[in-house]
Amino acid sequence: MAMTATATTARWSALRRSWPAMPMSLRIGAVILLIHFIIAATGPFWIPYGPSQIGTGPPLSGMSWAHPFGIDQLGRDVFSRVIYGAHIVIFLSLSGTFIGLVIGAIVGLFSGYVGGWTDDILQRFLEALISIPFLVLALIAIVAAGPAYSGNPILLVLVIALIYAPRIARMARAAALDIVMRDFVTVAKLRGESAWSVVRRELLPNATSVLLVEFALRAGYAPVLVGSLGFLGFGVRPPTPEWGLIMSENRSLITFAPITVLGPGLMLASLVVGLNLFTEGLSRILGRTVRLVDK
Amino acid sequence: MTIVRMLGTRILLSILTLVLVSIIIFGLLEVLPGDVATRILGRDATPEALALLRAKLHLNDPTIVRYFNWLGGILRGDFGVALTSSRPITDILAPRLFNTVLLSLYAFVIYIPLSLIPALIQASRRDQEVDHVISIVNLVFLSIPDFLLGTLLLVAFCVAIPILPAVSMVDESSSALQYLRAMTLPAITLAIAMAIAAVRMLRDNLIEVLDSDYVRMAELKGLPPRAVLLRHALPNALVPTLNVTAINLGYLIGGVVIVEKVFSYPGFGRLLVDSLQYRDIPLIEASVIIAAAVYVGANLLADLGAILLNPRLRNG
Repeated sequence: MAMTATATTARWSALRRSWPAMPMSLRIGAVILLIHFIIAATGPFWIPYGPSQIGTGPPLSGMSWAHPFGIDQLGRDVFSRVIYGAHIVIFLSLSGTFIGLVIGAIVGLFSGYVGGWTDDILQRFLEALISIPFLVLALIAIVAAGPAYSGNPILLVLVIALIYAPRIARMARAAALDIVMRDFVTVAKLRGESAWSVVRRELLPNATSVLLVEFALRAGYAPVLVGSLGFLGFGVRPPTPEWGLIMSENRSLITFAPITVLGPGLMLASLVVGLNLFTEGLSRILGRTVRLVDK
Repeated sequence: MTIVRMLGTRILLSILTLVLVSIIIFGLLEVLPGDVATRILGRDATPEALALLRAKLHLNDPTIVRYFNWLGGILRGDFGVALTSSRPITDILAPRLFNTVLLSLYAFVIYIPLSLIPALIQASRRDQEVDHVISIVNLVFLSIPDFLLGTLLLVAFCVAIPILPAVSMVDESSSALQYLRAMTLPAITLAIAMAIAAVRMLRDNLIEVLDSDYVRMAELKGLPPRAVLLRHALPNALVPTLNVTAINLGYLIGGVVIVEKVFSYPGFGRLLVDSLQYRDIPLIEASVIIAAAVYVGANLLADLGAILLNPRLRNG
């Protein structure tokens, strides 16, 4: 239960206000996100060492000018690894959330529009999926895929979608139930339009603001999910410089080179801070109360 | 609808949800295309080993028969035998669950003041400096992943000021004090993670209640602000927070997976990660169904609590 929809009409005009008139949280969030996107897009071209290059200096060293995040056990420069990892983390998070949004929106809107027993059965099924703690569901889905697919980025993207689709579907359904009551939906129904056409042409455009906030909210937690799976050893395959994985690789260095663990951690936290601030500002513009509860 | 019927419906729906969860788990782990034995042993397994494992898991039986045998076992409290150690799963789970329940209780004890105090301060100083500062701190903490939060605490209290153990090793022979020391950092991590959501919600609820007529009335009859806040506003603001606490209990099950790994604490979460690593399917199934049951149970209790605490729902 992440968000309570308060108004259904999209207030798009609100998005057209000038930059200084935007909420402070949105502006700060946007700047942080911009920095992260620039790092993700350009990082691979200016990092001082290759992400998997060994022998960049004395292994196990802490912070220095040449190696801001220290050097790991294999002699790799942690800073280069972290910067190189940015585009991987952002790509996995956003694409997984997006697929989850598409599936969740279709299922939720359709379920809310059709109603009846189809809706009942779908709701029970979604409820059951949500009842399995999300991290646990992610882990068993990865194990169920088998060793052949472990560490596969596409599997990770699908797992994120699997976690989010039921949660987004629940929100989309709630929005649909609200919109279905409106006259224009009745009119469309009387015109003899098919369910699919009503969902696509009447429900979807009116639910965009709900879905937009929902996407931003979920995207904000996706990097943590990717990191958690990496940290537990169920994420991307080892040489890949994903932040959670780097943190778990360098865990044994924590007593003498804590920066090798904190560096990637702070990058992850700052990305999530940016996403959360942006979401809060966005939801304020669209006139929605967002409760960042459901982690 | 009478209250008994409402409670009954809610309980039946929870049971239905759990049955569906069992189907999903079983379906994911045992029915998905591909051979279960190959998935456990990997592609290089010899045909003999595969045949042996198949016989051990009764994989040659039809799927439906296997599902009902499994479900029947769970209902009798028999989760079967773990693959890796050949010990009954109940024996493996019991001590781990005990450790995690202890840890969760400790976390809840810290969680209550940790969520009440900031929310009360924010509500009583609404829109003042303090309120904004706590909101920002809250947002920052919300953005810190559990494994980073745990690591930060580890660096602070085990490396910078070494007063607590970095590795939370405990077993049956550990004394109560050893347990307490081992559990402190993981419990604080879990408590902070849970409090973040609660503080936000409690603040909003408190402010809503403080604006209501009966609180105005209490203020107007001259009660001191502290009494108004604690005795009149707080109890009513707590009811919606019950729901967050249920969500938090659900979170806790995922949270212990991460936190127990960070602190090497031998609990249920570590067991689950280990069983996943070894692909011990019977043990995974048992752990996940327990985790889901706790989540569904917590939500059920929160709903029942909300129904019982709300006089408006009690008529009929």
